[in-house]
Amino acid sequence: MGKPVIQVEDLWWRYEGRKDWALKGVNLEVDEGEFVGIVGPNESGKTTLVMSMNGLIPNNYRGIMKGDVIALGMNTKEYQTADISKRVGFVFSDPESQFLTMTVEEELAFGLENLALPVEEIRDRIRWAMEITRLEEDFLEKPPYELSGGQKQRVAIAAVLAMKPDVIILDEPTSMLDPIGKTEVFNVLIDLRKNYNVTVIVVEHRLEDIAYLADKMVLLYNGEILKVAPPQEFFDDIPFLLEHYVYPPEIMIAVHKLREQGLYSGKIPLRFDEGVKILEEVVKG
Amino acid sequence: MSYGLAIEVKDLTYVYPDGTLALKDVNLSVKEREFIAFIGQNGSGKTTLSKNIAGLLKPTEGEVRIFGRSTKDMRIKDMATSVGYVFQNPDHQIFNMTVYDEIAFGPRNLLLPEDEVRERVLEASKIVGLSEEYMEESPFFLPKGLRQRVAIASILALRPKVIIVDEPTTGQDWKQSIEIMEFLKYLNGLGHTIIIVTHEMEIVAKYAERTVVMANGRKLLDGPTNEVFAEHELLRKAFVKPPQPTRAAYALRKYGVRQDVLSVQELVEEVIKSFKRSQERRTEAGLNTESAH
Repeated sequence: MGKPVIQVEDLWWRYEGRKDWALKGVNLEVDEGEFVGIVGPNESGKTTLVMSMNGLIPNNYRGIMKGDVIALGMNTKEYQTADISKRVGFVFSDPESQFLTMTVEEELAFGLENLALPVEEIRDRIRWAMEITRLEEDFLEKPPYELSGGQKQRVAIAAVLAMKPDVIILDEPTSMLDPIGKTEVFNVLIDLRKNYNVTVIVVEHRLEDIAYLADKMVLLYNGEILKVAPPQEFFDDIPFLLEHYVYPPEIMIAVHKLREQGLYSGKIPLRFDEGVKILEEVVKG
Repeated sequence: MSYGLAIEVKDLTYVYPDGTLALKDVNLSVKEREFIAFIGQNGSGKTTLSKNIAGLLKPTEGEVRIFGRSTKDMRIKDMATSVGYVFQNPDHQIFNMTVYDEIAFGPRNLLLPEDEVRERVLEASKIVGLSEEYMEESPFFLPKGLRQRVAIASILALRPKVIIVDEPTTGQDWKQSIEIMEFLKYLNGLGHTIIIVTHEMEIVAKYAERTVVMANGRKLLDGPTNEVFAEHELLRKAFVKPPQPTRAAYALRKYGVRQDVLSVQELVEEVIKSFKRSQERRTEAGLNTESAH
């Protein structure tokens, strides 16, 4: 793994008008090319944490900040969000909140035109981003609101990717989607993981897929980071996750219970199929 | 104990104004006090069916009867007190300036006297766990979990016998999902018939006694949840993925693992039983070999 691209150093944040701190002394380092999954119950500070990574916090929200966040060498207190965003892309959970234009093509070109790139370069980048997100050519003329939830979210991701950011942050990209939409978006994440050296930071409740995609898992709870570990280690302590309202995939819980009973002594499976194999070994006796 | 019929759907066909055929010849009977899940992929007809039951849509052909009366003959006021529909996005439903007015809106439309309106608002708020301090706040500025409760309370204040909740757990975390579902279970215990429309199979497995699977506008499966989830081939055609414990049991079927498991606990028990059977067979085989010598 490469050099750190995001450094969060003893970060405290309190929204104006609130008496509780949303983040309380958070430290986190994300390295170049890493895939990081951030989990934790709602209201635990996940969105606040990722918004602090591209400068949305403190620059676009009112509140009190202590500590520092350094994104690609830029201290977020000293740079504008617009500048940081060119290199740290952000995808919101509700894609409609980020659409600004009337067609998918305009949506994808919007950020690029603001970079004042040549037309040819814009065209190439749009084609490239559409390929990764598996958007068909004939989508270009459509208004974003005519698309399905999964398609909209892929357009939102493509618009961010087209900027060729070093880091892409996705805040619950699948939480409002149906199962097909969720799968579509996860396929894009899998592709990014496999074929592109972009750093991905994703906040996600659905752990089934994150478990085997992530290099590093982060548990945020009540404004504090309680655990940072590679998935194998992160999911090893199932009761700890359950105590903090993080519900691991049920196959992991089943294997954990068999381990407690002494019928299995190996690792917690990160994939469903691995879990079934473990159960099969136990059943065979 | 047997209960009366709450809902009868007879040969229901529904065509949207743009010509889309959303439901074709659907039949369904629901008894009072049932807890049912409607599942199926988007476009399968599950939401159209639930809106027909709530009287928000009227059948193109066939009919829907609520406690014996056809929805075509019922007035909005009668509908509202028999079937309540909670929208997937609480913001599609919330429009008043305070939580109190939001919950009071329905009862006021029933032209109830203001003291009874107040009684119903407080009762509904208490059931959903909204304390009085929220009553004068704007519902729009509450966290999503609480907005969802306001939406449910505003339906409860009408005291409908049947409550339909569209995607009760979307955008909620696990803890909030369990809270909402436990609350629906509590209402079910009070005598309400509950229908949830959802994609969350763990939630269906945990809470719904009966599951209706919709596919292409038709009812594909209808029965006790554990039996429905055991229909792997049909579910695959409907693009429905049963919960992990059910799928794991299916993968282990050749070892005699029971096929109607829904929960982790049941799966683990079944695996341990099969393990013991294997051990016994081995011991027997061992004894046989010994005696042969």
